[in-house]
Amino acid sequence: MSEPQFEQSNMQHRPACGASKPDLNRIRGIIAEHDGQKWPLIPVLQKIQDDIGFIPPESITILAEAFHMFPAEVQGVITFYEQLYMVPRGRKVVRVCRGTACHVRGGKSILKLVKQNLGLEEGQTTPDMEYTLETVACIGVCALAPNLVIGKETYGNMNPKKVSQLFVKQTGSGESGGQS
Amino acid sequence: MVETITITLNGREVSGYSGMTVLELARESGVDIPTLCHHQHLAPYGACRICLVEDEKSGALLASCVTPIGPGMVINTASPRVLERRSMIVRLMLASHPDSCVVCDKGNRCELRQIAADLGIGLAGLERVYSPAIIQEVNPFMERDLSKCILCAKCIRADHDMVVEGVIDYMDRGFGARPSTLADVALEQSECTFCGTCISVCPTGALMEKNRVYSGSTAKAVDTTCPFCGCGCTITLEIKDNRIVRAVPFNGRVPSNNGRSPFIGVAGHGPPEAGVASAHVPGREVNKGTICVRGSYGYEAVQSPGRLQRPLVRKDGDSAFEEASWEEALEAVAAGLNGAIGAGGPQSVAVLGSTKCTNEENYILQRFARTVLGTNNIDNGSRLSSAGTRVGLGWTLGTPGSTGCLEELEISDVIMVIGANPSESAPAVAYAIKRAVKQRGAKLLLVDPRMTKLRPFAHLWLRPRAGTDLSLVSGMARVIIAEGLQDDEFVTRRTDNYADYKASLAPFSPEDVEKATGVAGADLVEAARTFAGAERGSIVCGNGITQYVNGTATAMALANLAMLTGNIGPHGGDIVALQRDNNGQGAADMGALPGFLPGFNSVQDPEARSKFEAAWGMDIGENGTGGLPDWVGDTALEMIGKAQEGRLKAMYVVGENPALSFPGKEAVKAALASLDFLVVQDIFLTETAKLAHVVLPAAGPFEKEGTFTNLEGRVQYVRKAVDAPGESLPDSEIVMRLAARMGSPIVYTPTQIMNEIEDLVPLYEDPCETEIARPGGVGGGQFPGTDRRGRRFAVERSRRLHKGQFPSAFDRFHPVHAEDSPGSNPGPCQPDGGGGGLLLLAGTGLYRSGNGSTTSRSRRLKAIEPESYIELNESDMVALGISSGDMVKVISTNGEVAARARIAGTLEAGTVFMPISFPESPANALFGIELDSRSKLPALKACSVRLERIGS
Ligand code: SF4
Ligand code: SF4
Ligand code: SF4
Ligand code: FES
Ligand code: FES
Repeated sequence: MSEPQFEQSNMQHRPACGASKPDLNRIRGIIAEHDGQKWPLIPVLQKIQDDIGFIPPESITILAEAFHMFPAEVQGVITFYEQLYMVPRGRKVVRVCRGTACHVRGGKSILKLVKQNLGLEEGQTTPDMEYTLETVACIGVCALAPNLVIGKETYGNMNPKKVSQLFVKQTGSGESGGQS
Repeated sequence: MVETITITLNGREVSGYSGMTVLELARESGVDIPTLCHHQHLAPYGACRICLVEDEKSGALLASCVTPIGPGMVINTASPRVLERRSMIVRLMLASHPDSCVVCDKGNRCELRQIAADLGIGLAGLERVYSPAIIQEVNPFMERDLSKCILCAKCIRADHDMVVEGVIDYMDRGFGARPSTLADVALEQSECTFCGTCISVCPTGALMEKNRVYSGSTAKAVDTTCPFCGCGCTITLEIKDNRIVRAVPFNGRVPSNNGRSPFIGVAGHGPPEAGVASAHVPGREVNKGTICVRGSYGYEAVQSPGRLQRPLVRKDGDSAFEEASWEEALEAVAAGLNGAIGAGGPQSVAVLGSTKCTNEENYILQRFARTVLGTNNIDNGSRLSSAGTRVGLGWTLGTPGSTGCLEELEISDVIMVIGANPSESAPAVAYAIKRAVKQRGAKLLLVDPRMTKLRPFAHLWLRPRAGTDLSLVSGMARVIIAEGLQDDEFVTRRTDNYADYKASLAPFSPEDVEKATGVAGADLVEAARTFAGAERGSIVCGNGITQYVNGTATAMALANLAMLTGNIGPHGGDIVALQRDNNGQGAADMGALPGFLPGFNSVQDPEARSKFEAAWGMDIGENGTGGLPDWVGDTALEMIGKAQEGRLKAMYVVGENPALSFPGKEAVKAALASLDFLVVQDIFLTETAKLAHVVLPAAGPFEKEGTFTNLEGRVQYVRKAVDAPGESLPDSEIVMRLAARMGSPIVYTPTQIMNEIEDLVPLYEDPCETEIARPGGVGGGQFPGTDRRGRRFAVERSRRLHKGQFPSAFDRFHPVHAEDSPGSNPGPCQPDGGGGGLLLLAGTGLYRSGNGSTTSRSRRLKAIEPESYIELNESDMVALGISSGDMVKVISTNGEVAARARIAGTLEAGTVFMPISFPESPANALFGIELDSRSKLPALKACSVRLERIGS
């Protein structure tokens, strides 16, 4: 059978509309910090992602020039690693577990609820850049299934009520967890 | 010492050298192992596992393309386990392959399908389904259907490691991975040059040529030399029904027939079977498996409608052309030429030979000019592009052209590219330079007022004002001497005139040079140190050097720099002088020059003359009458001047198009039209042919046999692939018939002519001719990519004429003359002199070769760039109120042409660039006729213009 492998024409790599201009000087600064290091590309990419929250596509040519690589090569590296992103992501990344344990204990409806609460599909980010929704395989706390993770916090024993509270609380706090 | 290793291969003992892979040894031994991700010009990759073999001792299955041979190995290439595993891999590949395979246009060229067929894996009963992965692309050259991609990464590796463009790489991982451009845009929005190299290596239908006229596999393939620039790449033309349907880089393999596997090629050896199209020596070609967009698609031009079919004659004076028989036409030519000689003597006729014709044709033509017409008024089109380096390097180094080859260039550790944009004018040279930088860590010194595509590879980019290279190069030399970085031994033992030269460098201090060129003193010093510090420092130069009035002086300055740093000869770097046309070097070598017989034997040298008189059986009278003319004839532009004055009565123009390619277009046209008799021999009714009295239809570059000499000086075979249209004939045939008609027959067979050239032209002598078959000989002749000496080119080439072809057995420093370096003089037209304010630079474009006489007729090349353009800096656009896409009139004191404006970040404010390759808007028309006093080459690089917006 033919597999429509490339159906989604990779739109997720393009910057979301309305995203503000990335700070390219910051990127140059990060490159400079790693000057002289042996295989600097990956650590530099990680640092950019940590600092800016994602790797702005505009940085590719700068990186390519700095490391004497082809831009397409840099893109190849970025897209190879699941942990590296070329789209801005929400300050809080919500990951709903869909591992087996969570699944049998209602993970699917939790995901549905989270989607409803945030108005997002998987992979999407709220327009205010607050939340990005993702799913993950087992996160290793099956005893508390169904689970979800927000940022670095894990929330276990989820149920519909908890979910709505969670997001009221989270959105209501007015406190932004990540970089601005 | 290399160790010999013996292994058992399919029960037979075979030996190879340590470091060889099992695959290499197997192929060398005539054992075929299928591969998909392996390519002879790429590093072993080991991704597809198709090439599995069984190690019978350990029972392990090994990927033969990455497994080195080891002593005592026992290898089976076709054991049941191998076949079973291979079938499984192929089935897995096919399982994720679209069902459209059966009707896939790659057809029998698909290597995956061939391997499947060889393994007996059926493909019948499948239906075509819509494949979602065809990327919508509007470019005319290439289409991608990545559902057929088997992730062998050959395209990516070819793109990175062979042509070094870096357009594509894998995107994403796992199932979603596929070769992709940056941001996954269509190729035409990427940096892709459409060279076609990745298409040629893709083993499946994932990458294919677009707008094919024929899709299947062809029964006939001919290896020949590409005629679309001076590189002389070896290409393979695939022929169907007397039409060329595809041009691919020669890759050491013969395209498959009848579903057979194509793996006939064997590294370093000829094909194991008789009867295949050609033997070959893989890896010895100029291009090493690469090609450029002109090589891939230019052939269409030669097959375009509009080719001349029959001779054309104007019955009386100014009447319209009528078709004529060869008899009638040659009679008219004989009468016309004889008439002119009768009226004004041999000095009143002139011949233009062609940089596009073969060596043999130029040789016969100059013999015709000298013995039948009795004139030395013969020149060729290289007068307008490479005469400056030929003369400059000839006078100083004794080498009338490049001093080395691309293989040597590629192993240089510093490469200075000056006045050359090889990415567009000589792509195979650019590939070699980029490989040197990327793979060997060579340092590139780029000297160019424009930011060219080599910029990202440059260690240092110097941006002198246009036309100031002489100051820059002399400044570098001064720094080198001041810092004691010169190669004293080379200077003492191999050169003379050093003291004068050194003294002449006084006015080129870094401060002076900065004033003249705009290049910061510190950068100049850095460039000088870098070049002098090189083990092998090479120089690549082109029309950006030669096409100024001081072009020859600048070429000599480059030779001086090379001598000063010991970069002449086998242990140093080279000077690679680019040639715009495929046989510019050969036309000159063959004596299509007003001052030289073949092999740069001066026409004024009685000994040389008598050598040729004897060879050509000329009857010499008592007081030397009847011999070869001993006066130096006119160069191309001087001919035009004489025609203007009425002193030239008749011209015979072969394969050149002066009405288009010469500066001062209107004056040139008027001069040509004023001739009593003009005969033009060409493949199209060119602008010049339209002015002629008689037009003779010639065979094109794919329709005849012979040799071209590339920019390295390598002599390469040209083979006939298809028949010439209509009644057109090879140029040599036409000239010989004409000679007979004029009562002085010149008779050669192809072999005789090649023999005579080898005997009389030391450059072309072939010390080991017996080792290789002659063209047309047994076995279909030899591979066209080796030089005729059939030897290792890099080491044994004898083109360096230190044995005294030119004035001195030494390399001779040429002091810099003050009048050659009038500060920042960019040529005849000062930016502010002509009232224009803008400095126009004219140069070659990628999608057309030279002035586009031929290549502008290629359907696909024309589609990508249908009309001429002019590039401007953003600030100039704003200042002039011109936007990208507007039509503008480009006006100089000499003429005006129209072009579409384009924004370019590659130019400094005040500078504009226009390609010379659009016959409808010939940039040359903007130039007046102003000659370099040494080479008589007209300045064609820079002139002053102003722009007027004429529409959008
Ligand atoms: S056509 Fe040439 S430049 Fe374009 S992607 Fe293929 S190899 Fe690279
Ligand atoms: S497109 Fe062709 S060459 Fe490139 S990875 Fe896929 S199968 Fe290999
Ligand atoms: S680089 Fe020149 S010779 Fe080679 S394929 Fe291109 S046009 Fe032909
Ligand atoms: S399945 Fe969800 S945490 Fe293990
Ligand atoms: S050819 Fe050897 S692994 Fe692909």
